Amino acid sequence: MLRAYVWLFLAFLYAPILLLPVFAFNDGTVIAFPLDGFTTRWFGRLTTNTELHAALGNSVVVAASSAVLAVLLGLAAARAQVRYRWPGKAGMMGLIMLPLVLPEIIVAVSLLVVAVQVFGLRLSLLTLVAAHTLICVPFAVAILNASFAALDPSLEEAAIDLGETRASTFRLVTLPLVMPGIVAALLISFTISLDEFIIAFFLTGSDVTLPVYIWSLLRFPRELPVIMALGTILVILSIGILTLAEWNRRRGLKRAGMDDKGGFL
Amino acid sequence: MTDPLIRLRGVNKYYGDYHALRDVDLDIAAGEFFSLLGPSGCGKTTLLRTIAGFEGVSGGSVAIGGRDMTRVPPNKRPTNMVFQSYAIFPHLSVAQNVGFGLRKRSDLNDDARRAMVADALDMVGLEGYGGRAATALSGGQRQRVALARALVLQPKVLLLDEPLSALDRKMREQMQEELIRLQRHIGITFILVTHDQEEALVMSDRIAVMFDGAIAQLAEAEDLYRRPVDQRVAQFIGVMNFLPAAVAADSVDAPGLGRIPLDAVGVRARANDAPTIGFRPEAVTLLFPGQDAPDRVTDATVAEVVYYGDMTYYDVCLDGTDAKLRVSMRNVYGREVMEIGQRTRLAWSPGAMVLFT
Amino acid sequence: MNQETTRGLTLIAPPFGYAFALLALPLVAVLVLSFWSQDYLTIDRGFTVANYVEAVSDPIYRTLMGRSLLIAGAVTLVTVVLAFPVAYYVSFRVAPRHKSLWLFLITIPFWTSYLLRIFLWKVMLGFNGVINSALTGIGLIDEPLTFILYNANAVVITLSHAFAPFAILPIFVALEKIDRSLLEASRDLGETAFTTFFRVTLPLAAPGVVAALLIVFIPTVGDYVTPAQVGGPGGLMIANMIQTQFLALNNAPMGATLAILAMLCVTVVALAVVWLSRRLAGGGAR
Repeated sequence: MLRAYVWLFLAFLYAPILLLPVFAFNDGTVIAFPLDGFTTRWFGRLTTNTELHAALGNSVVVAASSAVLAVLLGLAAARAQVRYRWPGKAGMMGLIMLPLVLPEIIVAVSLLVVAVQVFGLRLSLLTLVAAHTLICVPFAVAILNASFAALDPSLEEAAIDLGETRASTFRLVTLPLVMPGIVAALLISFTISLDEFIIAFFLTGSDVTLPVYIWSLLRFPRELPVIMALGTILVILSIGILTLAEWNRRRGLKRAGMDDKGGFL
Repeated sequence: MTDPLIRLRGVNKYYGDYHALRDVDLDIAAGEFFSLLGPSGCGKTTLLRTIAGFEGVSGGSVAIGGRDMTRVPPNKRPTNMVFQSYAIFPHLSVAQNVGFGLRKRSDLNDDARRAMVADALDMVGLEGYGGRAATALSGGQRQRVALARALVLQPKVLLLDEPLSALDRKMREQMQEELIRLQRHIGITFILVTHDQEEALVMSDRIAVMFDGAIAQLAEAEDLYRRPVDQRVAQFIGVMNFLPAAVAADSVDAPGLGRIPLDAVGVRARANDAPTIGFRPEAVTLLFPGQDAPDRVTDATVAEVVYYGDMTYYDVCLDGTDAKLRVSMRNVYGREVMEIGQRTRLAWSPGAMVLFT
Repeated sequence: MNQETTRGLTLIAPPFGYAFALLALPLVAVLVLSFWSQDYLTIDRGFTVANYVEAVSDPIYRTLMGRSLLIAGAVTLVTVVLAFPVAYYVSFRVAPRHKSLWLFLITIPFWTSYLLRIFLWKVMLGFNGVINSALTGIGLIDEPLTFILYNANAVVITLSHAFAPFAILPIFVALEKIDRSLLEASRDLGETAFTTFFRVTLPLAAPGVVAALLIVFIPTVGDYVTPAQVGGPGGLMIANMIQTQFLALNNAPMGATLAILAMLCVTVVALAVVWLSRRLAGGGAR
């Protein structure tokens, strides 16, 4: 019975996703059954839509920059968290991890207030990168914490004992061993930023990101099948990235000689 | 002792308010197999890491080979360490692990490095394992890789942090003998940290017993066992029976044993609190029917029998006391092991007694 | 100051400085702003609690806040109750080497575009949507169901779907940590499989369940996309009002006030959940 329930639950999870390709190849502008026949023209229209291309480009730039920044900050935080003690540690870590338990609208509103009301900045992709970095850092810290915690501290001591400096030890021992964590953190931060809408809606100026562009399309039903085509491609891309992350994680586990205990989240 | 290889003077270490090392003075000679022995939390690992350079000292000095090393970082000290977890780099092969410390040796070319790695692997009995993944090794093999990796750098001192604690009993005994052989063969100083008194007794030339961050006694194995300086050391090393002692001007009284002249007592040591008399299980003997003893004899009853094959441990009650005393007897072919409740006689001599006052 | 402390502080300085500048200070700015007022485009910097008075007394705000908490609560309960058996199945019934594949399966829908998933639920639940078409098609109903779109039900369904993996993962992690010999010990001591679940498994999984409750509840309160898309007029939540105040009505101080109040409500509920779970856990230990 439990088994049947779980399969039913999976059906619930996948039902809307499975509709994507159905309507992406459906030759009709109304998104409803019955279907009107097969077409690939929605995919064709994707390639000619310059607004879409600009939004996608913006999204990739924002996601890549946020991911790199978040992982750099996350590396420092996770390393400090796992290895060192200092006064006020719990409070500082708490603030860094706070975006994880803060409704996104609060983050969006507070950054909007500071950017516009306090500093009078013009909203741009930069403000969005700053905000996305902020919300990605806790995810990066969580993943990298696990990587650093799994690292036997005597490995680094052994390298120093064998004549390496602190810097070369980090390069030769620490970095290769936490690399799977770094890659996973980069991928997850990238994906979060790529899909983030609420903050992006508040903080983008004239340069919109992909979710903001999709939002604007949702008001014009005639373009809906194009979104379906785009969605299909995005789903396939997401699965590709996730497969890559999972493969990378397994390789990392194998390398560290650990047992496979489950997912990377 | 000629000039010691390692000289610690007045070493103190604090972690906040916690006093981890208290005024440690220690000289270790070149070529010595030295052990730091004590219960967990006694400071023995901290002391080893102080010699390696991983722990800075709060006070005092560390000199190695006549040079002051107190402020020298671990990568610049002529010591190498075998870690408790072995710390084998999981992303490198066996040969890359062993050759890890040779990277900085600019006087060597690749061929020379390879030859040194191969020699080191030979030395620990892992010839031909160089190409294996480090993660594919058993516990005993990892231990050997850790040894080879440290020894290939030809350190003046090899530091071993509980290196055998993760191995099973058979493997541990085998590695003990191999380590002794290896140390005699290459002749450098080994400093071993262990909480296992048997391991320390078997392997070391000298042993420092530590309690609460200070060295309680520093002696050769036999001395340590026979002539403990105080009750704590006596209790920690091996087994000892204790009886309350009433000390008079020139004699001591113990329940069941009677009056012993003070000058006949074998060893004098410090008591924890009240005066106590003690003896090792093998320092006395139980008389089987028909046997006789040259010295003193006390009647007793067998209360417990623990059979070990080659040995039997008897707990006996001396007549007129409740205290159970442990006596170890070698089993002799053709002689029955005694039974619980059996009457027997304890034969002992005042010279085997240790008096703690 | 010793070396360890210095190294720790040096490392933590950049990420902490970043969070301080971009999170702590902005939150303070929002707090300050909530005590100001705005008349068209000019902001009056005089201190006033008028916004708070209005937020508490105006029934529109009260209704929206109440509805947000209710809907978020409903979403949280539905999601966690639906998620628990799935987490249990993956942890206890699936072979260890297949576990990561299952987690993978569960997380895939979560990584597909959030906006598209909401839109697709609209397609599923709509008047001429998939569910209605299917049900009328097989003759189960004559008229399309109307209670499943453009109301609070639709919001609950859509958000439960969106947050399912967030609920499954922490519960799964908590279940994985349970030493399986504890369950055998319970059976050995005379409990049935059923009573073992309630006396051993469930209490030990409690931290995961609490984490799941919070991780679903907190972002749900602040969601405005789902209510705007599938909620209809009766499904709008406080975040929609905050968004409107900031972007459409140009009354940033009122928006800030509502944001502060929303955050307060979330914090109070979150602390209450944590406190309650600690009490329950404490009671079990005694």
